[in-house]
Amino acid sequence: MTQAPHISTAGVDDWVELSPGEPQAAPRPLRGEGTFALSEPMQLGYLAWLCHCRWIVTGILAAYGLAGRVEGVLGRLGLVEPADWALACAGILAVLNVGFLAHARRLRRREDYNQIVPALWLQIICDMLVLTGVVHFAGPLTTYIPFAYLFHVVLACIFFAMPSSLLVTLLACLLYASLLAAEDQGLLEPRSLYQADLGLHIRRRPAVLLGNALSAISVWLVVWYMAMHLSDKVRRRDAELAGTNRCLLQAQREKTRHMLRTAHELKSPLATIHANVQLLLKGYGGPLTPHGRDVVQRIARRCRSLSLEVQEMLQLANLRNDSQRPDVARLDLADVLGACVRQVREAGSERSVRVDEDLAQAWIVAPEDHVKMLLMNLLSNAVVYSHPGGTVRVWCGTDGGRARARIEDDGIGISREHLERVFEEYYRTPQAVEHNKQSSGLGLAIVREVAHAWGIRVRLSSRPGEGTRVELLFPPPDGAAQAQGDA
Amino acid sequence: MAYLMIVDDDADFAEAAAEVLAHAGHEVEVRTDIDQALASMEKRRPDLVVLDVMFPHDDAAGFGLARRMRSEDSPFRDVRILMLTAINQRFPLGFSVNDIQSYWLPVSDFLEKPVDLDALVERVNTLLGGGGQRAQDPREQRA
Repeated sequence: MTQAPHISTAGVDDWVELSPGEPQAAPRPLRGEGTFALSEPMQLGYLAWLCHCRWIVTGILAAYGLAGRVEGVLGRLGLVEPADWALACAGILAVLNVGFLAHARRLRRREDYNQIVPALWLQIICDMLVLTGVVHFAGPLTTYIPFAYLFHVVLACIFFAMPSSLLVTLLACLLYASLLAAEDQGLLEPRSLYQADLGLHIRRRPAVLLGNALSAISVWLVVWYMAMHLSDKVRRRDAELAGTNRCLLQAQREKTRHMLRTAHELKSPLATIHANVQLLLKGYGGPLTPHGRDVVQRIARRCRSLSLEVQEMLQLANLRNDSQRPDVARLDLADVLGACVRQVREAGSERSVRVDEDLAQAWIVAPEDHVKMLLMNLLSNAVVYSHPGGTVRVWCGTDGGRARARIEDDGIGISREHLERVFEEYYRTPQAVEHNKQSSGLGLAIVREVAHAWGIRVRLSSRPGEGTRVELLFPPPDGAAQAQGDA
Repeated sequence: MAYLMIVDDDADFAEAAAEVLAHAGHEVEVRTDIDQALASMEKRRPDLVVLDVMFPHDDAAGFGLARRMRSEDSPFRDVRILMLTAINQRFPLGFSVNDIQSYWLPVSDFLEKPVDLDALVERVNTLLGGGGQRAQDPREQRA
């Protein structure tokens, strides 16, 4: 969908400016687990974010372990020293994290979205195994460290759909219960952070172990349920919004296709009427009376203007058809503007309007067709809305590494109340209608679309009865190429 | 005098164009269907084909015919093609000379509808290498 460009008006009354808007990215299709899984770019973002969080945990563990190497630091706090287990866990996490980060970068580079969910799973499992080690050395009943399993439960609710997040929660429960059972059965020697750990005594009682294990597991399951419920609601809403957005985009494409077809259906018969009117005017159907010739000429004129209007509708529809991005080229604005000036000179001489040009080399990167369309519309307006004997002045050049152009006329001008609406489709000021009845009112809408698509800043200033000036500021050639890539 | 074929599903337009081209001294045949046009070409090879792009059953049938005519084993490889179009999907903003190329637009030249009939005759004659003449105004003939 084409985003409407920002139209700003100044405090003074006589100018309006189109600022190139940010291109709107189409939503990526959802992939991964379940109907309401996160989009791939979000999943990739979480992969990297998880790695950054892991560095923090690694740092804390390493600091604790190093403190334990300095005699008396932990001892004065009543903690067991040395704490080499913390250094070992930090080392394992650091090695894992380097691998995870490299893998995440590879996935991002290759856009290999199928591997994101397995990578998330691997990270969570490794983290929980290391966490179980930390819980063991810190003491599973006498510190709050086992609550760190909840981080993984909540993260799983964010990353995964319901079955997988439940699996992560059950895995956390299993690891914690297994640790308690292993210590209870003497498979692992009970450890603690504290020099005097009361837990070492109560751990020997099965009821205490069971009560602790069950209460911790119950809390985790409740947290899982609540986090899953909320996360599912948010994702459901996200999916609905994404679906609505897709529908809107589809509707816009359908509308464009329909408009193209309709334009063709209108233009073809007009071409036939035009051809047959020419036959009549050329006398192929026999001699015409002066009145008959006048009538046929009127038909020909209306046919031409209607055909032009259909052509402009068609151009506008095509500009909004985001499936058709034309190829860009490096162009000298002076060449393109010069060619357009030559085209409008004929119309200018018919109206006794002089077109003066002062064109210097200025490089732009844009599709030639689009730039011509923009310039032709502005130049045609300048000529058509000039008074007989008037002059249109056209200038282009480079300023600060960016191409600029200016088209000035001393024509009918535009009053303040109409200025900010002239870029709307079919909007024509009463003065413009009075001066020229043949216009479609689509010319400046086409200018707006082209300017928006290629990041061209348009500033239109005018004063009724004195004339209009249009200034164009093109993006730097490198920036335009980048904008095309982004779009 | 050259033998021309106009291939356009709009018979009213094709007949109008044929009348002017015939007045310019050419022999003109009108075909409103791509298959009919090919069958006629096989019976008698035209010197130039005036070809529309969009047909009711296929929005790009004109392109298809032009590409068939330009294919390596086609006997019509060197027949000149003047393409006419109201709109088309491939070049929605109108053709430009840069678009004429061996695959996408394998034609000799193009005109956009609505066509000025004098311009059509002039373009046909240019493509035929001056082998025709400007359509004489019937009013001049009568005078």
